[in-house]
Amino acid sequence: MNRQVWLASILLACAAAALGQVDSEALANSQQDDESWLMYGRNYSAWRYSPLDEIDTENVGRIAPAWIFQTGESGKFQTTPLVRDGVMYVTGPSNHAWALDLKTGRELWHYSEPVPGDLPLCCGKPNRGFAILGNRLFKVNMQATLVALDATTGDVVWEVESADYRKGYSNTVAPLVVNGMVVVGIAGAEFGTRDFIDAYDAETGERRWRFWTVPGPGEPGNETWGGDSWKRGGASTWITGSYDPELNLIYWGTGNPGPDLDGAPRPGDNLYSDSMLALDADTGELRWYFQFTPHDVHDWDSVADPVLIDVEVDGQPRKALVHANRNGHFYALDRTSGEFLFARAYTEVNWADGMTSAGRPILIPGHEPTDEGTLTCPGMGGGHNWHATSYSPQTGLYYFNSGDGCQIYHGATQDFVEGEYYLGSAMENVTGEPREGSILAVDPGTGDRRWRFALVSPPTSGLLSTGGGLLFAGTAEGYFVALDAARGKPLWRLQTGGPVRAPAITYRFEGRQYVATAAGSAIIAFALPR
Amino acid sequence: MRWRVLTLFVSLAVAAAGQELERSPFHGDEASIGAGKASFRLRCSACHGIHAEGGKGPPLNRGEFSAGNRDADIYRVIAQGVPGTEMPAYGTRSTEENIWRIVSFLRTFEAVGDERVDGDAERGEALFWGAGGCGGCHKVGRRGGSYGPDLTRIGRSRSVQHLREALLDPDEDLPAGYFVVKVVTRDGKTISGIGSGIDDFSAQLRDVSGKLHSFLREDVESIEREFKSVMPSGYGESLSDQQQRDLLAYMQALRGEESR
Ligand code: HEC
Ligand code: HEC
Repeated sequence: MNRQVWLASILLACAAAALGQVDSEALANSQQDDESWLMYGRNYSAWRYSPLDEIDTENVGRIAPAWIFQTGESGKFQTTPLVRDGVMYVTGPSNHAWALDLKTGRELWHYSEPVPGDLPLCCGKPNRGFAILGNRLFKVNMQATLVALDATTGDVVWEVESADYRKGYSNTVAPLVVNGMVVVGIAGAEFGTRDFIDAYDAETGERRWRFWTVPGPGEPGNETWGGDSWKRGGASTWITGSYDPELNLIYWGTGNPGPDLDGAPRPGDNLYSDSMLALDADTGELRWYFQFTPHDVHDWDSVADPVLIDVEVDGQPRKALVHANRNGHFYALDRTSGEFLFARAYTEVNWADGMTSAGRPILIPGHEPTDEGTLTCPGMGGGHNWHATSYSPQTGLYYFNSGDGCQIYHGATQDFVEGEYYLGSAMENVTGEPREGSILAVDPGTGDRRWRFALVSPPTSGLLSTGGGLLFAGTAEGYFVALDAARGKPLWRLQTGGPVRAPAITYRFEGRQYVATAAGSAIIAFALPR
Repeated sequence: MRWRVLTLFVSLAVAAAGQELERSPFHGDEASIGAGKASFRLRCSACHGIHAEGGKGPPLNRGEFSAGNRDADIYRVIAQGVPGTEMPAYGTRSTEENIWRIVSFLRTFEAVGDERVDGDAERGEALFWGAGGCGGCHKVGRRGGSYGPDLTRIGRSRSVQHLREALLDPDEDLPAGYFVVKVVTRDGKTISGIGSGIDDFSAQLRDVSGKLHSFLREDVESIEREFKSVMPSGYGESLSDQQQRDLLAYMQALRGEESR
């Protein structure tokens, strides 16, 4: 390297630093950075807690929109916006994304990429957000690709295909950047795909490793799938995991086995469906796993946030991983080993009568889906589904929402047709018993419930807790709400005019605290009046 | 492998012919019919019943369709839906092949024809608008009240069994979107009616006189949602068997064509 080039690169590096480029250290310290929101769960432990306290339980009643950005796109807005250096980066449904000026909410750039018409989808075309490293943003597109964008311009730097969407693969997950790699999951278990977790080089887009969530022949766990059912085993990975830098482990939950409701073609426990996985971040090798629902026949994906908390359990300090599972139980595991600590039902559960000491559910017979249908609680969506959760070190409470109620599960054996639904029958609502919901606060060391805020509809939004003693949530009917995080009492609300399907974020900009959320198809940023 | 080849062949055929096809390319193919059945259960059974026996949607297991009895007629209703009714259009949400698979599944039912109601539609009509008092709450065409759902094409939209249930045991399966809101005010008054909205902070309702009310939860004693019918109960007793059959015959004959 000659002297001039060397100087030039130093200058460039300084410029980058001045621009506040996000390096691995910034990601590791994201919890201390009040001005940014740098990753899906705000920090690697997936807390979604910000220490910001300008907006608090006393004054939250006065917050008002500072700006509203109307995206003009329809579909489900489930995104966690990122914030850095005066800009908000938002992804939307159907492969749209925007950069917004934090001062005004005005659009800086708009990215979009068509969704193929023949893409088989189970659940709409949402996207859950960007990841960032350097001056690059990373997002998945519906057609199972991962794309890197230049954060300044929105231009595509590289795009790679994770899997062939024609086979039923698709993607909605917010990526997680770890050690210079972009880690992503995949969706498709409703179509008899075989799923995985991938890590790509952030610089080049080259794949560094892949972990198949359904082991192939000769691999441990393959024997838990009768015949060749592993080929269509599902176990999608459609919600972002967490990361422990000290242990260098990535934690990621997996979804239902395929076909969802018919266990007959896949005798066995069906590893690693409905499991929590701990993967070596450098190699993608499996360090431990814990399966929540062996041989699931109720579509109880276990993709919900793996939240890393150091907490006392039975009088012993534990490096725990807590997780609210769709099967109706709240779990605490030891995140160094995967050891089962405890599980507690948080909603009506009629299919299991507690757990063995190893954490295997003790089944109550008669809950296999049948042709005529069996009534099982919780219903198909859970319990707690995927919506972002929050842990407040201030209150010491873990917050998550829950869909409450039962469903009738029908089962039938179905032939596999590539690219078609492979569910093995259907769910039915119970006449006259609408499914409802709740926001729950539990003690993460015991699973004891501290409070419950009832919802007339199953929840749609995620949660955010703040140093101001607040918990922000949204509702299916379009309210954006601030609750007292200690007691669950509503302190403020706004009818936004569209369902709130996203978790809120918060950041400081030019000395003021903002709280922002997607509602309907708009992004709204709130602050105290000046 | 044979199956793959067939799929491929069929895909090409479908792609080439699209909706122009008269007959499902999957006609009689066991595996496709199975896939169609699975798909039906997933997307259609909530309205048409798990065995296609009907419910909120008409029965589809009687081998006869109002829309016409060629495969292409059934394909068309599924793809385009029935505008203005609860029947959604699946053309944009499903592949052509998948719709054809469902068509082939629906064609496996033997023709048994409509369930016949042994009643007199004319006498039923008179009862509906007269002593039965139904017309005070229900519209047929332009005529009637609007507290209850419009019944203009109810005979086409619902199974006879659902109509009978709506009359005799109306709490059993309410039409989509119907619920009752019951509000108790701070001074102990109860106001109830058909809910037009309910959420975690408020409720809106329409009382029998048609008046709209809106309440905030924080301003009243309680707000409850109930899934029960506001239809007068006891038609089972107050109407004779013959009168019930006459009303059913009248409603079954309401196909949406008349009194427009
Ligand atoms: C939300 C309820 C609902 C769902 C879901 C639904 N339907 Fe319907 N369907 C109806 C109603 C109501 C009608 C009658 C419409 C009318 O008034 O003509 C209907 C009519 C039909 C007809 C015409 C019947 C005839 O005799 O002409 C067919 C065929 C049909 N549906 C098939 C399907 C299929 C296949 C699906 C799933 C892919 C489906 N429907 C899903 C409510 C529904
Ligand atoms: C006080 C008003 C009222 C009267 C009188 C009344 N209905 Fe209804 N009806 C309703 C309402 C409201 C609903 C919908 C929800 C419910 O059941 O509360 C309904 C539902 C129905 C339905 C089901 C409609 C659907 O879309 O599935 C039928 C059929 C029906 N009524 C027929 C009748 C007949 C026949 C009579 C007379 C014998 C009658 N109703 C009298 C208010 C009324």
